[in-house]
Amino acid sequence: MSDLTAKMRETAKKLFEKGEVVYVIGWEKGRFPYQSPPAFITSAEDCDRLIWDEFCLAGTAKYLLDDKYPEGKIGLFVRGCDSRAVNRLLQDNQIKRENVYLIGIPCAGMKDPDTGETAKKCRECTHPNPVVFDELIGEKVPESDKPERFDAVNELEKKSPDEKYEYWAKQFDKCIRCYACRNACPACNCRECYVDQYRVGWQGKQNNRAENQVFGLTRAFHISDRCIECGECERVCPMGLPLMELNRKLIKDLNELFGPYEAGVDPEVKPPLGLYSEDDPEEFM
Amino acid sequence: MKTLAKNKLNEAIEILAQESKVLVPMKVNGVSKFAPWGSEGTLDFEAINTLLPPKDALFPHTEKMYSYKVSNQEVTDLTVHNEGDQQVIFGLRPCDMQSIKCMDDVFLTKTFVDEYYKNKRDKLVTVCIGCTKTAPTCFCDSMGLNPSQHEAADVQMYDLGDFYGVEAQTEAGEKLVAKWQNLLGEGEVTVPQVACTLKVDMTGVPQKLAKMFESEIWKNFSRKCIGCGTCTYICPTCYCFDIDVKNKGNEGYRFRCWDSCMFSEYTRMAGGHNPRPSKKERIRNRFLHKLEYFNERYGKNLCVGCGRCVAKCPVNVDITLFIDQLKEVPVNE
Repeated sequence: MSDLTAKMRETAKKLFEKGEVVYVIGWEKGRFPYQSPPAFITSAEDCDRLIWDEFCLAGTAKYLLDDKYPEGKIGLFVRGCDSRAVNRLLQDNQIKRENVYLIGIPCAGMKDPDTGETAKKCRECTHPNPVVFDELIGEKVPESDKPERFDAVNELEKKSPDEKYEYWAKQFDKCIRCYACRNACPACNCRECYVDQYRVGWQGKQNNRAENQVFGLTRAFHISDRCIECGECERVCPMGLPLMELNRKLIKDLNELFGPYEAGVDPEVKPPLGLYSEDDPEEFM
Repeated sequence: MKTLAKNKLNEAIEILAQESKVLVPMKVNGVSKFAPWGSEGTLDFEAINTLLPPKDALFPHTEKMYSYKVSNQEVTDLTVHNEGDQQVIFGLRPCDMQSIKCMDDVFLTKTFVDEYYKNKRDKLVTVCIGCTKTAPTCFCDSMGLNPSQHEAADVQMYDLGDFYGVEAQTEAGEKLVAKWQNLLGEGEVTVPQVACTLKVDMTGVPQKLAKMFESEIWKNFSRKCIGCGTCTYICPTCYCFDIDVKNKGNEGYRFRCWDSCMFSEYTRMAGGHNPRPSKKERIRNRFLHKLEYFNERYGKNLCVGCGRCVAKCPVNVDITLFIDQLKEVPVNE
């Protein structure tokens, strides 16, 4: 057992014993060694299920939306990505800060179960240390800006419009519309997704190139300035769509238009599209 | 048993492709699935199981049912779309063969025959290749299957290294094998036996589940589910669909497309009531359907143990772990 696993269990236990939390969300071992899915811990005795290893890939913060009016505090283990997700949910008034107790864990990166290498989303992570927490366990890890995370976008931008269309059309031909990307995404926190507004009929149900692209592009635009780059959409996509290329293209454009912005890092700074400023560029007018 | 040398495989498939569409395991654009022979992609006969099941061949993701034009409030040009080519699914695994048997039960038996399914099924010949190895997530033998062969396939083939053993099991299979007359040899064949490493004990599971609708297990087990449709869309036996229309001007068409019981709006009724309001009810429905309801109605599991959902669920909601945990859960009568 790693030191951090022991610390996790100890911390969670203490929270239960003090009556601080009603339950805790962390990770536990799945059936296979390369699986460490999210776990819901409901008692001090249960805390020994908690685990911290290189396969804790899934995000924890989105689960807060399942319980917006908890009977007490929810203990939530947060890495950098999860903490940014918490900030996003707070900024969108989806959750209340006093309803969560955040246990921060600096994260050196998880492994991709298929390759055994560092997971793509972790290679591209700029904030491995939690940006908000009530207590921190473990030592902080080095951080960097990782401008190379935009390499794929820079390459794509060199393509002609027709080539770009062909590239994305081919990708979305694969989409099975399982909506795993949407459901894993902490920025996708609409009470009712436009996809599910069946009476209005924004989104047709047929699986074809047109409908699939309508979904993919609409989602990308919806979350553009709120994407925390956790990479969960790309990780959970069973069809392997390079969804972060789409998100990063929008992030890059927004950075160029409105100045650098990283969603969920500072809860006091509003997303560029959620804010009107007299200095906003208006070349298109 | 008749034998087919592996270096004659392409020729054998080519012969079939002269007369019908042949679907083979391929990697297309990074996705492992059954795709038409000759289409863009790479052949993948080594895949233990394709990521996408072959159900699309009988039950397309989106299927146009009929189209119409309207003039002066009258329907004109009503056209039913139920065409379909002769098809061969070549190289499907025993688990996927069993999934076709399950869908046959649903679409062809008990009071209603689905003409769209039947048309495709009547024109389908299945060539099953038995597994010689299993993935860590495979558990078909716990679901009562034999990973080496399936008796319902029209043709059963066995992978024997440099060649395949070939056995026609139905009349359609005899006809298909007859086309290979000049390619086949004859040889002594020992059918390779293989077993899954992942085991679950299904003894008494459907009976126990019949009394567990109100159990606590559903809430606990469903908590981490993110409510996406991955498990249902990569499942070879999930057959739920929705029917809708697409209109443009004075013409349109009615289509059906896959739907998923994992989606929030799946059970939403006219007026807005939703009898399955949360993940708990949805997971319960899915697992009961797989392991209990289908047994009750058709005498078999609706889970074939292919392991796709076990491998692909983004948060490892694992039906095999569920079956394991079930043992320890008391029944509330």
